[in-house]
Amino acid sequence: MHIEIDEIAKTFGSANALHPVSLALPSGALVALLGPSGSGKTTLLRILGGLEEPTSGRVLFDGQDATGLRVQERRAGFVFQHYALFRHMTVFENIAYGLRARPRATRPPNAEITRRVTRLLDLIQLPDIAARYPSQLSGGQRQRVALARALAIEPRMLLLDEPFGALDAKVRKELRQGLRDIHDTTGLTTVFVTHDQEEAMELADLVVVMSMGRIEQMGKPADIKARPLTPFVREFLAA
Amino acid sequence: MADMTVSAPLATAPARPRARAVGCTEEPRWLRWTVTLVVLALLALLVVVPLASVFVEALRDGAAVAVASLSDPDAWSAIRLTLLVAAVAVPLNALFGVAAAWALTKFHWRGKAWLLTLIDLPFSVSPVVAGLCIVLLFGTNSLLGGWLVGNGLPIVFAVPGIVLATMFITFPFVARELVPLMTEQGKAEEEAALTLGASGWRMFWTVTLPNIRWALLYGVLLCNARAMGEFGAVAVVSGKIRGETATMPIMIEMLYNEYMSVAAFSMAALLTLLALVTLTLKSLLEWRYADQLAASGRH
Amino acid sequence: MTTRPGAWSLRAPSPLPGWGLSLGITLTLLSLVVLLPIGALLIRAAGIGPAELWATISSPRVLAALVLSFRAALVAALFNLVFGLALAWVLVRYEFPGRRLIDAAVDLPFALPTAVAGIALTALYAPNGALGGPIQDWFGVRVAYTELGIWIALVFVGLPFVVRTVQPVIAEIEKEVEEVSATLGASRLTTWRRVILPMLTPALLTGFALALARAVGEYGSVIFIAGNLPFQTEIAPLLIVIRLEEFDYDGAVAIAVAMLAISFVLLLLINLIQVWSRRHTAGA
Repeated sequence: MHIEIDEIAKTFGSANALHPVSLALPSGALVALLGPSGSGKTTLLRILGGLEEPTSGRVLFDGQDATGLRVQERRAGFVFQHYALFRHMTVFENIAYGLRARPRATRPPNAEITRRVTRLLDLIQLPDIAARYPSQLSGGQRQRVALARALAIEPRMLLLDEPFGALDAKVRKELRQGLRDIHDTTGLTTVFVTHDQEEAMELADLVVVMSMGRIEQMGKPADIKARPLTPFVREFLAA
Repeated sequence: MADMTVSAPLATAPARPRARAVGCTEEPRWLRWTVTLVVLALLALLVVVPLASVFVEALRDGAAVAVASLSDPDAWSAIRLTLLVAAVAVPLNALFGVAAAWALTKFHWRGKAWLLTLIDLPFSVSPVVAGLCIVLLFGTNSLLGGWLVGNGLPIVFAVPGIVLATMFITFPFVARELVPLMTEQGKAEEEAALTLGASGWRMFWTVTLPNIRWALLYGVLLCNARAMGEFGAVAVVSGKIRGETATMPIMIEMLYNEYMSVAAFSMAALLTLLALVTLTLKSLLEWRYADQLAASGRH
Repeated sequence: MTTRPGAWSLRAPSPLPGWGLSLGITLTLLSLVVLLPIGALLIRAAGIGPAELWATISSPRVLAALVLSFRAALVAALFNLVFGLALAWVLVRYEFPGRRLIDAAVDLPFALPTAVAGIALTALYAPNGALGGPIQDWFGVRVAYTELGIWIALVFVGLPFVVRTVQPVIAEIEKEVEEVSATLGASRLTTWRRVILPMLTPALLTGFALALARAVGEYGSVIFIAGNLPFQTEIAPLLIVIRLEEFDYDGAVAIAVAMLAISFVLLLLINLIQVWSRRHTAGA
């Protein structure tokens, strides 16, 4: 799905989290929002997912205005920074949650739900953990379950907030490839937030560098590396 | 205490710890034992012995007499009334606690701090003052009370007043348990449920409520214990009409003042048993679900 | 900070539902149960007028009752400050059989109805009681029907507050902090005085203020053991009840307003302690 951000601004009280920013994300791209903390990247992601309301501006999905669309209607698969798995539910119930939450008319029958959850568990290469609780999983497993839960609702896009932030270096490398594979399999437009420039450059098709609520530069990783447009980008990439 | 102070002034002491490595974070053995024994003796004199004496006094003339005193019609009426009042006041307070905690912990808005202080207010108001306030608002002499009595709904000297007085005293309990826990839990799980398409109610029943259930139960237990035992506020609003508005604590007072010691202590023993059941459940909850209960420690 | 666009809205926008509903339920019940009744008291008091209120409050019998309520509450809270700290320390740090049971027993004064506590303590500490008799024989001191009896009842009801506020803080003290103190040459007493007590101070003060607030207004557990002699053992809440029974509503309202003022001051104190301790610990 093609995502367009048109002059989106956001203020929290007296603070400008986002100055008006505009951005067009092509369908099927894997996009990194890169920047230090406080750069507005997470706010932008949450606006895309319908978790924050922009102070002004519009969000367009495939050319249609989605600004007023409620979070439930957006069908954005959202992976939270600390995964926000439901701690009192098994992995199976976590993944099935979105399907069970559908209105009766569109809710798949139980057998179909089981089939889909099983398929998703295969996709994230954790076929045997359906009966476990989130507290019994490693950090990397939790992240993959959160991904499967987001995919279960057949989302129109995938939004990930610091998906590798809470993991150690080795697991992080493995899961990067995992996200790349899942993106390539599903073909979903995917946006992830990170403060790690190496991660952004290695994984994304398109990198958006942000600072202080503004977009500093957007482009292919190689282009940004070769031709940083602003002093901030140059310094941030050098760090 | 003398031998604890023998070390030289800090600045000039040689950098060689005097205490043995094992003992340096412990008090001397004799002091440990003394403090422990004194504390436990005081606890026994103040809490354990009085508790035991309730049962001793109740059973002074034998179990049969104690049971017989409880089957008196007025005693029965008091027991039923106490259970009725708790059955109305506690769920209402649970509703209040959940609603208040939701509004306080999941949103940012002006006036939050004020609401939190107002919720705490009943903690520090004397039960008698609380009762008086209710009498002044709903008594027959007041505008509102007179109108309500005229329409056949007396509050004071009737069951609704007792419920209100009980709710006043137990008002903060559930909210106080839930607010720290829900603050700590944040709102990411609720947001996740919404992004997955859940409606507001579905999110509440399937995500929020299961996450707070043990703390909620804990708060309800505390609230219930206080609700069944409330005395001062109820004494003021109930009018103490035997067989009609006398709750169990009020009956205890009336029997005691009439020198019907065994009957008074039998009723007290029954109330104590209810309190002990509550306490046992509460302790079990604490031991099993310590991690899921907020370490608020406030009553 | 001069221009604050968007700051005029009452609430920051949130995707979560139910703010209006939950706040509506909260404010409705809070008003009906707490705010309107207290408002009725204040309106009634305003109608009586400050001169008349003060005349009632400063009359010797009322003043004696208010002073007694506050003094006894203070004594009990101070006792609980020391006793509660020792008990909390013993429960967290020392191993002994039946510790969990003792720990549960700390909540008894809280779960036990005040009227039950009142008659039980009275039966026990009365001159013919199991403890009151021997105490009078050996020490020549009467417990029940004196101010000492009131102290005991108030220590009973206030006990859980200090223990339960201090206990979690003791559990969180890292042993390394004490070890560092010891390696720097401090004696155990110095460690207590300079390291442990300062860490516990905010919790101790909070527990003390909570116990005090509870004890000032306590009624049920006190009236049985107090003897209720005017000018000697008549507490302020009891005097409110007596005035009500005489249908002297204005007299009752005046005493209640004085007690409410004490409550507000204590509530303010508790909040200030917590604000202060939050700042105090945040800086550490």
